[in-house]
Amino acid sequence: MSAQAQHSGDVPLFYRRGFRNVLQQAIYVAATAIVAWYVYTSLDLRDFGFGFLSEPAGFAVGSQWLTEVDGVTSSRLEIYLVGVWASLRAVMVAILLSTVVGVFIGVARLSSNFLLSKMATLFVEIFRNTPLLVQVVLWYAVLLVGAPVIQDVVNVGDFFFLSNRGIAIPWPVPSGGLWGVPDWFVGVWVLVLIAAALVAMRVRASRQEIERETGQPHYPNRWAFSIFAGAALISFLLLGVVVSIDRPILDGTQYAEGMVIKPEFAALVLGLTAYTGAFIAEIVRGSIQALPRGQTEAANAIGLSGYQRLTLIILPQALRQMIPSVTNQYLNVNKNSSLAYAVLYDDLFRVATVIQNKAGHALEMFFVIIVTYMIISFAISAVMNVFNARVTANRL
Amino acid sequence: MRWPSLKGRRLVSALLFAGAALIAGAVIGACTSDEDQQQAQAVEQQQAMQQQQQQDQPQAQVSGDPRGNTVQLVKDRGILKCGVKQTQPLFGFREPDGSVVGFDVDFCKAIAEALEVDLELIDASDASTRFELLANGNIDVLIRTTTITASRDRELGVDFAQTTFYTGQGFAVHAGAGINSTADMGGSTICVQSGTTTEQNLADHFTDLGLSYTPLGGSDQETQDAFLAGRCDVWTADQSNLASRIGVLENASDFVILGELISKEPLAPGVRDYDSEFKDVVNWVVHGLIAAEEMGINKANVAAMASNPPNTAVARLLGVPFEGGEVSTLGFDSVGAQFIQRALIAVGNYGEIYENNVGDAVPRACSLNALASEDKSNCPPGTGGIQYALPYR
Repeated sequence: MSAQAQHSGDVPLFYRRGFRNVLQQAIYVAATAIVAWYVYTSLDLRDFGFGFLSEPAGFAVGSQWLTEVDGVTSSRLEIYLVGVWASLRAVMVAILLSTVVGVFIGVARLSSNFLLSKMATLFVEIFRNTPLLVQVVLWYAVLLVGAPVIQDVVNVGDFFFLSNRGIAIPWPVPSGGLWGVPDWFVGVWVLVLIAAALVAMRVRASRQEIERETGQPHYPNRWAFSIFAGAALISFLLLGVVVSIDRPILDGTQYAEGMVIKPEFAALVLGLTAYTGAFIAEIVRGSIQALPRGQTEAANAIGLSGYQRLTLIILPQALRQMIPSVTNQYLNVNKNSSLAYAVLYDDLFRVATVIQNKAGHALEMFFVIIVTYMIISFAISAVMNVFNARVTANRL
Repeated sequence: MRWPSLKGRRLVSALLFAGAALIAGAVIGACTSDEDQQQAQAVEQQQAMQQQQQQDQPQAQVSGDPRGNTVQLVKDRGILKCGVKQTQPLFGFREPDGSVVGFDVDFCKAIAEALEVDLELIDASDASTRFELLANGNIDVLIRTTTITASRDRELGVDFAQTTFYTGQGFAVHAGAGINSTADMGGSTICVQSGTTTEQNLADHFTDLGLSYTPLGGSDQETQDAFLAGRCDVWTADQSNLASRIGVLENASDFVILGELISKEPLAPGVRDYDSEFKDVVNWVVHGLIAAEEMGINKANVAAMASNPPNTAVARLLGVPFEGGEVSTLGFDSVGAQFIQRALIAVGNYGEIYENNVGDAVPRACSLNALASEDKSNCPPGTGGIQYALPYR
């Protein structure tokens, strides 16, 4: 610094750092202001406002689950939220499935089994190197034309139906409480179960820790299972909710009861899963290969089985490498879910497009769309950051 | 922190400056050049419009008449420019050999013959620009499955002539599905074009019926594909649209178009506002072709009828003397008394145009397009034709 200060006196004004900094900032601010001014003046903002979202929707959407919005009495905002919920379902399922597929394929690529590793390579190369739009449209065409029509439905023991109207599977539903409790108590029960699972995991971790330190058996798995099962049973009796498995029924050309996975949803989720799964597989493979060979050799030397080597030594260490890249892939799933537009799945973008088509207000609608996608992305990032912090908390 | 050498720093800052200057310059340039361009364009447009007006309307400047006399314009040009669809089978469709045929196209031919000019078919398939083509003078008449609505009439500078085809929002189902009306559609999956009035009519109609349904929205083509694949029980769109798309399929008999309509969609030729002479010609060509059918005049017997008209009404319609009397032009001096006769010779009467183009796909009997004078004893209650020519006298 002293050298700088020394000859700052004889440096021309234009070459002084302080002047240069101010000038650069000024140019940046001016350029931004010019662009903002130009955008502002070229847009007609007289009608700008979000009042149109509270008007009646005037159209219905098909991809609903747990909601019943008819489109005539509901507002545009409500029908948009139905679209957001549809997007969230597709994104959550696709993230879950692509992780499972990705880890499996990634490990399989490193398998010493020639057939398995080559199959995994083929999977990755096909789904990673073709456009997602093409894949999604292809899946939809396959499901629409390839699956039998509803009249020739494939019926597996009245338990499972397959046609181009979708796949119908049994699904648990609340069916009245023991003491006449309302159906939404099921939701409470689910929350209790989640809480019980978290407690059980905590207990398991702490008992594992004690086991490691003392060398005495503390039965972490048994404890965890007992806590969960006990909590589930007690809360079930306390809340008195009854859940029955609802088997799908074919009523004319319609599925009734059960859970129907429609081809639009299936095509989108299949496309996102295969595409993202291929990328996650490469991340998994890369993270594993980045580990020193000594880790594998040491695991072999102490006599661990292949499965133990993978789950106890390799994957826990590779996880630290994977998470940031995998988070990126999850964010891509969120953004790519807008390809629902091509397969007639009423996600938030498709619904928003229809609203905009009917109401105008393109600017406001795109603002809403962008903010919605950003909120979902931030939520995914936040969850993954917490997970990342936990995984990297212990220094190896 | 290590800084790059003075020389390096100079280079970096020079680059930074150059970039910033470039961006600022581009932005300022974009602003001003855009305005300049707009101004230049406006001037050009004005000049072009003036030129066009001078060219188009040599004599026919009428006060309060921004566009002038289309009849005169077309006759001077020797060509009628007719805007038609090229993508809808049976109504306006481009065949593989390049020819454009259909119900709407036949009306273009009839009007061109009535005016004794050649016909030029202009592609007006794009729904969003069709009215602009008309207003800008790229076409003289728009015959493109266009529904008359009050807002179009008032806001878009278009005037509508007599309806050529009455239709409405209809429903197609799979044959043997046991669906005979919308009342049978409770719980069904319905393919509908999203973002259209069709979608809204559907939602309203099912709310009125108190029935639930699952919509599957998409483009025209997407909904067609989904319905044909069996993804939907029902496909809804303009009935004429359904008929024309199903009619050209090889397995057309696997599908049934229900008679029920839940909206009114009268399709009519559009002309420019403030040009009643041209609108009168278009209007009376359509009425004349319907009147010819009512009187039993067709393409085959029009010559015989003209040389020996059986009554005064036929003689008046064809513009020929009845038993040596005088010929009345009824004021159609600019096109001559025989303009309807010429149209008839070219394309036949309304019934012939209908049967030649859409008759197989949308049976005319008992539809709105049947003649009002027809016997309706075989039709279900509430159906029957309303096509009816105004008196030509």
